[in-house]
Amino acid sequence: MKIEIRLTGRMYQSILEDLKRRHAFAAERVGFAMSRNGTLANGGSLVLLNRYHPIPDEQYLDDPTIGARIGPEAITWAMQAAYFGRARHEGLWHIHLHSLCGRTGMSGVDRREIPKLVPGFQSVGKNGTHGILILSLDHASAWAWLPGKMEPIAAAVVSVIGTRIEVFESEGRK
Amino acid sequence: MRKERFSRQSFLGADSEERIAACTVGVVGLGGGGSHVVQQLAHLGFQRFVIYDEDVVEESNLNRLIHARSVDARARTPKLHIAKMMIWGLQPEATVAGFACRWQEEPEPLRECQIVVGCVDSYQERYELEVACRRYLMHYIDIGMDVHGKESPVIGGQVILSSPDGLCLRCMGFLTEDKLSKEAAQYGAAGSWPQVVWSNGVLASTAVGLLVDLVTGWTGRRAAQAYLVYDGNKNTVKESVTLLNLSTVQCPHFATDETGDPLAVEL
Repeated sequence: MKIEIRLTGRMYQSILEDLKRRHAFAAERVGFAMSRNGTLANGGSLVLLNRYHPIPDEQYLDDPTIGARIGPEAITWAMQAAYFGRARHEGLWHIHLHSLCGRTGMSGVDRREIPKLVPGFQSVGKNGTHGILILSLDHASAWAWLPGKMEPIAAAVVSVIGTRIEVFESEGRK
Repeated sequence: MRKERFSRQSFLGADSEERIAACTVGVVGLGGGGSHVVQQLAHLGFQRFVIYDEDVVEESNLNRLIHARSVDARARTPKLHIAKMMIWGLQPEATVAGFACRWQEEPEPLRECQIVVGCVDSYQERYELEVACRRYLMHYIDIGMDVHGKESPVIGGQVILSSPDGLCLRCMGFLTEDKLSKEAAQYGAAGSWPQVVWSNGVLASTAVGLLVDLVTGWTGRRAAQAYLVYDGNKNTVKESVTLLNLSTVQCPHFATDETGDPLAVEL
C-alpha cells in the first residue's frame, strides 16, 4: 500500500528555517504539522501537510542525553490540536531535522521515543493519519500511522510542491 | 548516470535526469495540445505519466493530432492509445496510467501527480481541474487557444501556471463568474473550436518550458504563478499585463488547509 506525504514549497522552507535555528541548550528542534487525508488509487493514501507549528523555545526541556526533549506544554498543544482537528480527520506529525545530506532514517532515540506519542494522538484524533517526518538537508523520510493502526508504514514518497519540485523517495535515488 | 540521449540537455542541471524521471505528470486531454505535451515530455525523459482522454481519432483531428495517422481516423483509434504509443516509443520503461474516460470518473490516479497539465476546452473543466490540484497539492498548468472572427480571424491563447503557493486562475482574471455562467448557458451549443497545429505547438511548448523549470529549477526563476498570452497573428508570447499589474500576493480563493478528500463536517 503506497503512502505519499505532500507539502507545499513554502511550508517546507518555513519548516527547514525553523528547525535549523540554534536553541539555547537543545541540540535540535522539533515542530508539529497538521495533515488532511487524500485517497490514492489501489487503496493508497496521500497525506497533505498544511499547517506547521514550531515549538517555542521555552517548551524544550534541558536533557543533554538526547537531541531535543519537549515539555508538557508542547505535548498539551499537540494533543489539543489533534482533538480540535478530529472533525476534519486531521493528523498530527512530529517533525525534526537531521543536519546531514542524503536519505535519513530514525535514530535509535527516535525509534525509542517518538512513536510513544502516537497512541495519544490516535486517542483524541482517531480518524487522522499521524506520523513522523524526518528531514535531512536535502531529503526526507516519513512513517505514517493510518487510522486505527498500531504499526507505522514507511512513506514511499515525500514530495514538496514548490517552485522546484522535490520528490524524495524511500528507495532508489538519493 | 547521464545517458548519451540527454547530453544536449545537461544545462538543465547535474541531477536533472533523475529529477525528471522521478516526477509524475498528469496530462488531461490528449488532443491538439495534449499530444504535443506528451511527446515533448517523453523526449525529455519523463517516466511517470497519468493521462486521460475519452475520445477517438477522427478525420478532423488529423490537422493537428501529433503521431496520429490517416489509418487511426478510419480505425477510430483511441487518443489514449496514440499517446501511449508515443511515450513507449521514446521511453520503453515508462509507467503510463492511462484512462479512456473523463478524469472525474477516475480521480484517484491523478492525485499521484506533482504536476497536471490541463489541455481541456471549457472554463468549467479548467475550474474543476484547478480545484482538484489545489485540494491535492499539485501544480496546475493550463493551456488553451481560440480563434475569433471569420472575416479577419484572430488567434489567441494562454498558458497559465497555478501553484498551491501562488495565485489561481480567478486571481489572475482568467476565470470569472461571468465566463462560467455564459458558458453554462451555451451548454451543448458550443460547436467545434477552430484549432491549428502550430498554435497548439507554441502553447504546448511554452507549457512544457514552465513544467521543466518547475522540475529542474534550471532558470532560478522560482515563480509560483505565470500567465503567458499568445498572439497567434503576431506570433508572440508575452506575460499577461493583468498579472504584471496585480497587487494581490496571496490567493483568497483557496484556503491552504482545505486539502484532501472533502468531508461532511458535523456541526
